[in-house]
Amino acid sequence: MNAYTIAFAFCLFGTNARFLPEDYNKQRNVIINEEILQSLGGRLALDEDELAANEIIMKWKREEVDKKFRDKQPEELGDRAEKSKVYQIIRKMPKGAALHIHSSYMLDVNSMIALTHEHEDNLYACYPNDNDLKFQFSNTVPTEPCPVNWVLLSELRNKSGNTEAFDEELKRHFCFTAVAKKDPYESINDVWKRFEKVHKVIKSLITFRPVREKFFYKALEKLYDDNVMYVEIRSGLNSLYELDGSVHERMYMARLYKNITDQFIETHPDFMGFKFILTAYRAASNEKVREAIDLARDLKREIPEIFAGFDLVGQEDLGRPLTDFLPEFAAATNEIDFYFHGGETNWFGTSSDENLVDAILLGTKRIGHGYALLKHPGLMSIVKQRDIPIEVNVVSNSVLSLVHDVRNHPLASYLALDMPVVLSSDDPSAFRTDPLSHDFYLAFVSVASRHYDLRLLKTLALNSIKYSALDDKSKDKMNTVFNENWSRFIKKMITTCD
Amino acid sequence: MRLLIVLSIIFAHGACDIADYYAKRAKLAEAENLLTVGGNYPLDHKETIVNRCLMQHKYRELDYAFDNPQYFNCSHHFFVYKNKMRESKVYKIIKNMPKGAALHVHDMALLGPDYVMNLTYMDNLYFCFKPDPVLSGNHLFLQFANQLPNKTCDTWQLISDARRDAKNVTEFDFNLRKHFTLVVDDPDTAYPAITDTWDAFMNYFTTIIPLVTYRPVWEQYFYDALKKYREDNLMYIEVRSVLPNLYELDGSTYDQIVTAKSYKKVLSRFIKDYPDFEGAKIIFAPSRYVGNAELDAYIETARSLKNQVPEIFAGFDLVGQEDKGKPLIDFVPKLLQANDLNFFFHAGETDWYGTQTDGNLYDAILLGTKRIGHAYALTKHPLLMKEVVEKDIGLEINLISNSVLSLVKDLRNHPLNTYVANGMPVVLSSDDPGAWEAEPASDDFYVAFVGASSRLSDLSLLKALGENSLKYSALEPTRKAAALRKLNFQWKRFIDNFDCSKY
Repeated sequence: MNAYTIAFAFCLFGTNARFLPEDYNKQRNVIINEEILQSLGGRLALDEDELAANEIIMKWKREEVDKKFRDKQPEELGDRAEKSKVYQIIRKMPKGAALHIHSSYMLDVNSMIALTHEHEDNLYACYPNDNDLKFQFSNTVPTEPCPVNWVLLSELRNKSGNTEAFDEELKRHFCFTAVAKKDPYESINDVWKRFEKVHKVIKSLITFRPVREKFFYKALEKLYDDNVMYVEIRSGLNSLYELDGSVHERMYMARLYKNITDQFIETHPDFMGFKFILTAYRAASNEKVREAIDLARDLKREIPEIFAGFDLVGQEDLGRPLTDFLPEFAAATNEIDFYFHGGETNWFGTSSDENLVDAILLGTKRIGHGYALLKHPGLMSIVKQRDIPIEVNVVSNSVLSLVHDVRNHPLASYLALDMPVVLSSDDPSAFRTDPLSHDFYLAFVSVASRHYDLRLLKTLALNSIKYSALDDKSKDKMNTVFNENWSRFIKKMITTCD
Repeated sequence: MRLLIVLSIIFAHGACDIADYYAKRAKLAEAENLLTVGGNYPLDHKETIVNRCLMQHKYRELDYAFDNPQYFNCSHHFFVYKNKMRESKVYKIIKNMPKGAALHVHDMALLGPDYVMNLTYMDNLYFCFKPDPVLSGNHLFLQFANQLPNKTCDTWQLISDARRDAKNVTEFDFNLRKHFTLVVDDPDTAYPAITDTWDAFMNYFTTIIPLVTYRPVWEQYFYDALKKYREDNLMYIEVRSVLPNLYELDGSTYDQIVTAKSYKKVLSRFIKDYPDFEGAKIIFAPSRYVGNAELDAYIETARSLKNQVPEIFAGFDLVGQEDKGKPLIDFVPKLLQANDLNFFFHAGETDWYGTQTDGNLYDAILLGTKRIGHAYALTKHPLLMKEVVEKDIGLEINLISNSVLSLVKDLRNHPLNTYVANGMPVVLSSDDPGAWEAEPASDDFYVAFVGASSRLSDLSLLKALGENSLKYSALEPTRKAAALRKLNFQWKRFIDNFDCSKY
């Protein structure tokens, strides 16, 4: 019992006084207010304008929550969110940074389809059936194995007679939610299989250097448009290729991204750029992981300003546990920062769950997902004391089968306990969501308490700067820019009253 | 305190070598294990042997599920795996294990549809169907009477006549049975949202109540329920009852005190027949969909129960779906006046955070509740969590109920995981096992053990849960001590006679 008390010792409760009738309401409000004060962002001071803006957003939030409560509506994502006033406000709100995003899923489906219209004369498709699709840009018919003939995508598109219907059908391959009718008995491993299939299709399109350039530039626009000013991208760095089949070394992609970003910042001076968290597959061999860490070292040496650290990716339940790579990590621990995924599972006491222990013991700078953390009071208190941020991806956890009803997401408890939380979107294009807005919306309206307000939203945005891999000077700059944008956002909200 | 010390040792120096790393890792795991429910119960030699057998089966089951998640029972709907689950070796061990008490069960759903079906073979039972105003299909009404009933419908018929005239009795009974259970083949289609489940659940009660409140049935029903609970290796129960008015064939009815007295009478008969059974108490738990005037009457009834049948009266509660019912705050002034009663409030049986339902947790605790029914939403309230620990308020967790009644789909997301990990004062119960054809305790214990606690949680957890069920009961101190001794004795016998090869 004692230890439990310590685990949550940051709470100071009133005395055990007996509650007299006249004191009852007072006592009750003390607890409720104290709970709100002690939650994430609860103590943030709002100025007069912010308080006025808070009234507006809370009016919409309460209306929405109360309606859902009355109707007992099951939570839904997607189109319904866009109709919400709260969502519309959140969309315009400066949200800081997206710290947990995988490189292949940065660009929305419609833009991806638009990319398939570029370099049309050279875009071949291997499209043996409705479920399989692979792309290859080439001067001549590709020679890579394909069960049917490689055909120019433009040819298939023209033959279909209906470009729009063809493209609509094509979308299925670029995103996850629309892939198949939801089958309640589909296992989480099947879900991941579908997910990885989408990854292959996207990757086959964006490994072509000219497409990748557009892809990344548009992805930055997409972030900017969602009021996200900085991003940390998890990527293994691909070997991009040219039309003649020549292949660049992996570091080329890093330089390319840097150049594109520099170019982007010229026209968007308040954008802060990006950093890479280099990744290897957690199902890979020790040797592959060693190579990936070497690549991380190279990147850190060559372009330190875009390097954040290292991580392992892929489904944790099926991948190898972090302990398998202890020798590799131990050898790198003094040079490379880790940003490990940990506990993206609903199993308890399994190897995937215990990745949390290792991520923390290995000194991870942040924890990716940390879904299982709530079941580990010891780790919770370490995370709190050592201020290790948890990168929570609510939509992702819901789509990838960890939690059916997001009201059961542990984020609710993390917020209540004022844990160091940042929100991100993991694979936004696969889930057809915005870079951050949908995740913020869902967290705010469906996961967080009905009482939590603008203080929470602002703190989440500020956290994303605080817990980023930016150096102090850049953080200062970003905070300054954020504050300007924030004031403008608040002013606009209270003057237009929506 | 211990945890803090361990943590500070662990982080005193950075990782040196891998052996050192593993030592730290093990310390951390140990520190967490000590925190869990039962984590500080050392197992003795014999228990360790039993534990080895139990854990061997648990690991086998869970590791298979980890590799083949589509076959993991507790991530599906209870109706889908309920029969399959009972084949499990872990289940069979739990079934035979002494489990103490069931502290959160409602009297109208103590026994399942098979038992209820037998009641329909009794004489003088009339029935009629009326189209259901909410759900599709017909609603079944039942009534024992010595002449044609004249209320509710105008198509009353003796069930014995209808059965006699039925072309196919098996089919007749098959269709009849559906009205006595929530279990269906495809629950996700039948119950798409929480409102649908609760509508069906409420219908279940309106059908059942007139059937079991016929006085002769009632007395036998409760006796048979006690028998069934005892057979599931329970020795004590606390029953939440609306205290329905019992009636006779001629339509005459009794007041609620008579119902309570009949409880007492049946209980004495049962204990005479089964002296190893510790007993039962009732928690008067009428509907929360009322106004303050009715609440006055409730409190008055509760007080007369306390006077007239003190030995079986435990306390007071309000029941019904919390999201739809009145919040406790509406009743606070009156309930504060009634603090001569012990409260056992339902609270936080909801997914909604920051709503009035969720707020019931504040009031239950401020009103000094002795235990909290469900407390599903409590993990979202760290201050209340702390209060619960300090005041040692028992949390009555009903896993299968929460899953069937649409709060959570995958039990691995149930807050019990966190409560167990934090060593919170939890007891397991089954709520309305008859309505979903669950066993009185074994089913809930099994899903808690394999689906809502760590893979590493072992016999110590099960033992602690058994002890908790008596520790947090409303038994008087001396009786409680005696009951714990009795449980200890049963436990020893279970351990001594344990034969791993039988499983």
